[in-house]
Amino acid sequence: MILDQIRRLPTWARWASFATLGILVLTLVQELGQNETSHLTAMTTSQTALKWSIPILLAGLGGLFAERAGIINIGLEGMMILGTWFGAWGAFNFGPYSGILIGIIGGAIGGLIHAIATVGFGVDHIISGVAINILGPFAARFLSSEIFTGYQGGSVTQSPRVESVDKFTMPFLAGGYDTPNFLKWLGDKDIPILSDTGNIFRGVMTQTSWATIIALLLVPLSAWILWRTRFGLRVRISGEDPWAGESQGVNVYRYKFIAVMISGGLAGFGGAFITIEMSSIYQEGGTTGRGFIGLAALIFGNWRPGGILAAALLFGFPYALQFGDFDGFASHALLLVNAIALFGVTVWAIRKSKHADAAIAFVLGALSAIWYFVADTVPDWWVKILPYVIVIVVLIFFAQRLRMPAANGQIYRRGQT
Amino acid sequence: MVPAIELKGITKRFPGVLANDNVNLTVEEGEIHAVCGENGAGKSTLMKILYGMQPADEGTMNLFGEPHTFNSPNEAIDAGIGMVHQHFMLANQLTVLENVILGAEPTKQGGLIDFDTASKHLEEVGKAYGLTVDPFDLVESLEVGERQRVEIIKVLFRGAKILIFDEPTAVLVPQEVEELFRNMRELKANGATIIFIDHKLEEVLEIADTITVLRQGKTVATVKPADVSATDLAELMVGSELPTPQITDAKISDTIGITLDNVTVLDEDERPIVDAVSLEIRQGEILGIAGVEGNGQRELVGAILGTQKISDGSIFLMGDDISNKSVRSRRENGLGYIPQDRQEEGLLLTAPLWENAALGHQTAKPFSGGWNQWFIDREGSRSQTERIRREFDVRTPNVDVSAHALSGGNQQKLIVGREMVSEPSVLVASHPTRGIDVGAQASVWEQIRQARSNGLATLLISADLDELIGLSDVIVVMFRGRIVAQLNPSEITPRSLGAYMTGATSEENPA
Repeated sequence: MILDQIRRLPTWARWASFATLGILVLTLVQELGQNETSHLTAMTTSQTALKWSIPILLAGLGGLFAERAGIINIGLEGMMILGTWFGAWGAFNFGPYSGILIGIIGGAIGGLIHAIATVGFGVDHIISGVAINILGPFAARFLSSEIFTGYQGGSVTQSPRVESVDKFTMPFLAGGYDTPNFLKWLGDKDIPILSDTGNIFRGVMTQTSWATIIALLLVPLSAWILWRTRFGLRVRISGEDPWAGESQGVNVYRYKFIAVMISGGLAGFGGAFITIEMSSIYQEGGTTGRGFIGLAALIFGNWRPGGILAAALLFGFPYALQFGDFDGFASHALLLVNAIALFGVTVWAIRKSKHADAAIAFVLGALSAIWYFVADTVPDWWVKILPYVIVIVVLIFFAQRLRMPAANGQIYRRGQT
Repeated sequence: MVPAIELKGITKRFPGVLANDNVNLTVEEGEIHAVCGENGAGKSTLMKILYGMQPADEGTMNLFGEPHTFNSPNEAIDAGIGMVHQHFMLANQLTVLENVILGAEPTKQGGLIDFDTASKHLEEVGKAYGLTVDPFDLVESLEVGERQRVEIIKVLFRGAKILIFDEPTAVLVPQEVEELFRNMRELKANGATIIFIDHKLEEVLEIADTITVLRQGKTVATVKPADVSATDLAELMVGSELPTPQITDAKISDTIGITLDNVTVLDEDERPIVDAVSLEIRQGEILGIAGVEGNGQRELVGAILGTQKISDGSIFLMGDDISNKSVRSRRENGLGYIPQDRQEEGLLLTAPLWENAALGHQTAKPFSGGWNQWFIDREGSRSQTERIRREFDVRTPNVDVSAHALSGGNQQKLIVGREMVSEPSVLVASHPTRGIDVGAQASVWEQIRQARSNGLATLLISADLDELIGLSDVIVVMFRGRIVAQLNPSEITPRSLGAYMTGATSEENPA
């Protein structure tokens, strides 16, 4: 069985195989589906999907640092909102790069509040997080009314337009810096699968923001920090067994504190990214709950950076698909992709002897497939709700396989067991 | 020779308790020094002081002749003291190596952990002391004995010369205990000094070079194992005062209140923590269970109550098989319960007394009413609570104050009252007088005695041997999950009981 073969490969190859499998399914659906569409594997789709994944990825990585240190950070959304506001303010006054930095600081302030409450005072993590989610939007609105209303084009709900950071196009592969454009050549050849793959890669390598690249680099960097450094080990012991850490002289409070600040900073980066890279403007409610989706990505990614990236891309894809899908055929085709994925889950569940799971997955897959074959187009809410549907479905089938840090969410007080 | 550790006049007070009272302890370099005593004798407190987890109120500490005071475990570690905790201080999802190096990670530039150096060092330490374990295994994949080895390596890795073992055998099976003792002798041969906390006498006699006995926070003796027998040690541990005799009239009926037939409970590691226990308590009889804490009493109570799953055997309440019944149906069918920790298990501290009085009886009149007893009867509950307050002398202004406003003794009287007014046929009383004042204690005893003459079958668990001997009609001793002896309270003393409890004697009947 192909899945077993994949499991024996090293991690990077395994991820690559899953990605290949995904591209294969997309291509086949496109080639063999009812309606001709090229939008699923179009260059613009992958380009947009990557961009839409970044805030989710950053929120997820933010959650990773906090929860690896044992602090549940449901306040990511609020910290992200602070990031959107501070990002806009910074970008308007000092340019986009400073804007991102100031957005990170804004988010980190939210993290600081959460750290003081949960680590310092032993407040329940959920209560503190919810408080920050309430505080974030109101702080942003207050600051807007104090500051943005004084700017040309600003108001209580939005900032003036801000600049984006510079873009990068890969030389030779995607034709950056006046070099030949290999992937465009490949895409134009119209070879099944190969050309589609080429288009997908061309999308992510063309006009990519440096902020996106930095965010992507944070994935291996986070893994390196958490699993290779002394700091990371001490953060992880704080989330696994803080009492053991303390008994060996680790200042658990300090590491929890720092980790929650980093968490807020990353969420703030995500917020600033929304403002500076996506909407070019601060807008009230601009995060649209992506802090929470980031938390879902953290869970789906099993508290690991690579998994969070995969989840972010998966959740970001349906968002991107809505843009430029004027005939709705791509959204429609996504139903078949969905059905195939669910049938895949069915096979997996049968092999694991989880018969109830297999039945549920099969029924959902069948419904998806029937819908695909009966209808020619789908209503536009379908793609809009898809990220949330994916979250729920994933949690239904894989929740038992997930493992959060052992002492995650527990209120830790030094000297008490 | 300068002793490795010299503790002089250590005194430690907690609110209302004198945990250590002028304790003196001298440990020579390179010896295995056992510290034994009953639960609550002050062993753990003394070790926490030595390891810097708690400061002493009075007294001095010398290590190799140098005076020291520790404010944190880190300072104790730096001074060469390591603690092998009874409850392992290990993170399951981390590797052995990560657990060991934590707090003293060898690093390269940039805070990058030097895993090669670390694992080499770990293997050297392991080899030097004959302890082997794979550094890259996840801790969760290890057996209990292996985890303990990791704990020991962890301490040695930090360069400890003095090792404190806090009841290390409590979690081990006999073969693992042998392995541990081999390791300890190896450590000693390599020049380590070991303090060994235990209350299992045969183990202490086997491994120790010197034994110090604590009782009620005081050092009562320091002896050599060759000079004492297990019975002598037991006597030193529990003291030899005679119990205050309680006059009990024998009106035991023939009806059996509760029967336990070969009840076995397994712990998380699938080891029997209650091992094939069979008991019968008749109406009007009090059966006392003696035993050092942690020998399965708590789990036995859980099995009877229905909070612990029994893996084998069956339980009958007034002749009905309740082995698979829910806690609620057991309670509704006449099982009363006085929990050992009234604040954790017995009460909702922030709820008013009348709600507390309904706990465990919330499905019965007068606490509930209406269709199928679905609704809370506030008036009924209040008047019932008033009745408990009157009859059981619960000192409180009214029944609407919250439970934490009451003193420990009054809290306990409320619990006893709530169980008694529901007229159970069987009562499980776990440490019913622990930590309450003498007046409340006498009143609780009186209530239990009275219920007995009214035909209640009572299972009494207590660490207070005088209480056990005074109240019980029969005493059984639990040791390592088994009933090791059945005794007649009129023929025994706390001293002989202590010998059974620590496993020093285990014949079915004493001479």
